[in-house]
Amino acid sequence: MTVSAIRPVFPAIQRKRLLVPVGRIAVGAACLALWQFGTIAIGPRWLPGPADTVGRIWELAISGELFRDTIVTFAEAATGMIVGGVAGAALPFALRLSPRLLAALEPLISAAFGLPKLALAPLFILWFGIGITTKVMFVASIVFFLLFYNGLAGILSIDPRLVAMLRVAGASEWIINREIVWNTAKPFLFSGLKIALPRALSGAVVGEFIAADSGLGWYIQNARSINDATGVIAGVAIVTVLVMAVNAALQRVQARSLAWRPIAKDMAI
Amino acid sequence: MKWSVLIDRFIAFVLVIAGWQVCSIYFGPIWFSSPLRVLDRFIEEARSGDLWFQTEYTLKAALYGSLLGGIPAALLPFALRRHPVASAILDPYLVGGYGVPKLALAPLFILWFGVDLEPKVALVASIVSFLVFFSTAAGVSAVNAQYVSAARVFGATERDIARHIVWPGAIPYVFAGFRIAVPYAIGAAVVGELISANRGLGFLVQSGATDFDTTLVFVALTTLTVLVVTINLFVSRCERWLLRWRPPQQRLAAGAAGA
Amino acid sequence: MTAAPPILEVRGLAKRFPPRSGQASSPWILADLSFCVAEQEFLTIVGPSGAGKSTLLNILAQVDDATEGRILFRGEAIRTANGTQLKPGWNCQIGYVTQDDNLLPWRTMIENVMLPLRLQGRLDVGAKDRVAELLRATNLIGFEGYYPHELSGGMRKRASLIRTLAYDPPIILMDEPFSAVDAQTRAHLQQDLLRLWNLGRKTIIFVTHDISEAIALGDRLLVLSKSPAKVIAEHPISIRRPRDLGNIYKLEGFGDIFECVRRALQ
Repeated sequence: MTVSAIRPVFPAIQRKRLLVPVGRIAVGAACLALWQFGTIAIGPRWLPGPADTVGRIWELAISGELFRDTIVTFAEAATGMIVGGVAGAALPFALRLSPRLLAALEPLISAAFGLPKLALAPLFILWFGIGITTKVMFVASIVFFLLFYNGLAGILSIDPRLVAMLRVAGASEWIINREIVWNTAKPFLFSGLKIALPRALSGAVVGEFIAADSGLGWYIQNARSINDATGVIAGVAIVTVLVMAVNAALQRVQARSLAWRPIAKDMAI
Repeated sequence: MKWSVLIDRFIAFVLVIAGWQVCSIYFGPIWFSSPLRVLDRFIEEARSGDLWFQTEYTLKAALYGSLLGGIPAALLPFALRRHPVASAILDPYLVGGYGVPKLALAPLFILWFGVDLEPKVALVASIVSFLVFFSTAAGVSAVNAQYVSAARVFGATERDIARHIVWPGAIPYVFAGFRIAVPYAIGAAVVGELISANRGLGFLVQSGATDFDTTLVFVALTTLTVLVVTINLFVSRCERWLLRWRPPQQRLAAGAAGA
Repeated sequence: MTAAPPILEVRGLAKRFPPRSGQASSPWILADLSFCVAEQEFLTIVGPSGAGKSTLLNILAQVDDATEGRILFRGEAIRTANGTQLKPGWNCQIGYVTQDDNLLPWRTMIENVMLPLRLQGRLDVGAKDRVAELLRATNLIGFEGYYPHELSGGMRKRASLIRTLAYDPPIILMDEPFSAVDAQTRAHLQQDLLRLWNLGRKTIIFVTHDISEAIALGDRLLVLSKSPAKVIAEHPISIRRPRDLGNIYKLEGFGDIFECVRRALQ
């Protein structure tokens, strides 16, 4: 950028360009400072400082406990995702075949969406005990409804004129399914999957809050019950970082494949 | 509404209930309870006033939390609208905060605020605030530039524009945010109760399960569902009345999105 | 035309948008555009679609800024050669009726019509009377409480028109206001416009791509070239007022001007 080519307005723009990243770092630093100040003011028993938190995370990492608990939670989330995801994604396709059934079930489906799935946790404990199955079923129920909702929205958005056109052209049901149904539902399902993974993780953690003997959620809850504030914050921090990392990774994948989708759809979180 | 559809729905409902009854006979009442027992228990709890006592607790947590979190969150985008630099600076933190799994914070809130209503309110507020913020922000940024331009030509000041154009234009989005947040607010209150409480619908579910009192669990679950559906209907009604200026097409889309 | 000073003078107006990233420079949309408008004159401007007519009006209304040129309003410089601080509407002296009616959907028709007066703090009895008269003149009485989506396209246009007329700016810019309605409604709206213009003669600058509309409505017609647009022809229209819009095309002068303009646009 030669000076002569720059009109007088450029330095202002340059200043503005720097202002945002600097501002962000400043806000981040201010938050950390506030945290530390809070620790001093309220006392480390209630609000462990950033240093303590990091120290505890480090301990957990070294001792291997972090790894063990993370694996448990991840396993529950992944299994639940597969079980719930397959069922949730497949059902709309099946229901599509009978619009009459779909219309008949509609109020029941709406009511089912109304129930906060998290309330089912104790019922699952009753049914499946405190073992892994409970958490898996719990995650599965969350993911099932998510993908079912999204898949249904996708199926309902199919343009019947397109289907009619293909039928007139002599296409078989199989081809119609592949060409129109699958392609219309695909972006909805993918968007559902993208939301489902972090939800599955946090679902597994919440399930562990209520009944578990291992896993990240168990660690947090256990720490709280023995008033180990550092443990609670460290655990929460780990879960947060994990979920955000998964979110970010999925964001990358989505940005590349489905960049055209409007923001509003994602907002359904 | 076609009669045949209504009849179909009735039949479907009856079949589900009948299926439930059959399962309870076959598997035993511990696992599923039965429709009759649940109905009985529901009436009993409702009559004794105990059901409302518990529901009120959950409802209070959800309501207070929604207001506490939702109102500042709805106002923030309007304030940020005139300060794009501040908006850009805060953006990654807001998006990041949105990504934090708030429910995982429940034990933290319980540690800090105790075991009564406060941690549940905090949990609900933390969830609702982000939902309402992003929804409102979308509405504020969707302001129709042509309206603004035309208004400037006939003498509108910045305040006029905010009052007459930005605010009414964004209200549908504010409502959508609250409407989307309703099930999450109640769900958060319930989770808070599941972890630690001695009152509330979540508590009923939890204590029912521990006592192997499946009937109570189902009563509580049914009440929860009815609660969410009712509140949703109420909010949608309010929304529709406030937004009667909307052309019918848009209203339909909003309704579908909310279902 | 006479010794009276023009209400608006445009000299050497030029406009191009800033180049997109990757482009070296962007094409000129307007170049060396100059013309005058007399007080109470109905000036029509014809040009091919996309020639920059809307851009020109945006610049005159101070919604957008030109790259070069000068604009004088009643002798006062709105835009000097060095640029300007934009003041949309120039203190409510320049009204602008856009192509889309831009009525606020969340306000009733009467609220929309009164909005400029309200914002300007001029809602006195005289203003309310004027609004009532405008409603009568455009057949909108009885629809005051309706929301825009409940009105027909033609009614929304009329409401948009009287919204600007209500606060009485000396100059009104109109950007193809009738192009989005069907031919029947357009004929009615044109008649309404002329009738309203008669009630209180303002200066009107009316932009359109429809040659017959331009001739039928205007006192004088300017022809713009394709991009970069400049005035390539000027035709005074001597057809006497009041004009019978239904039969105007039969009049002798009409055909000649039409031919000239059509050829100029090719």
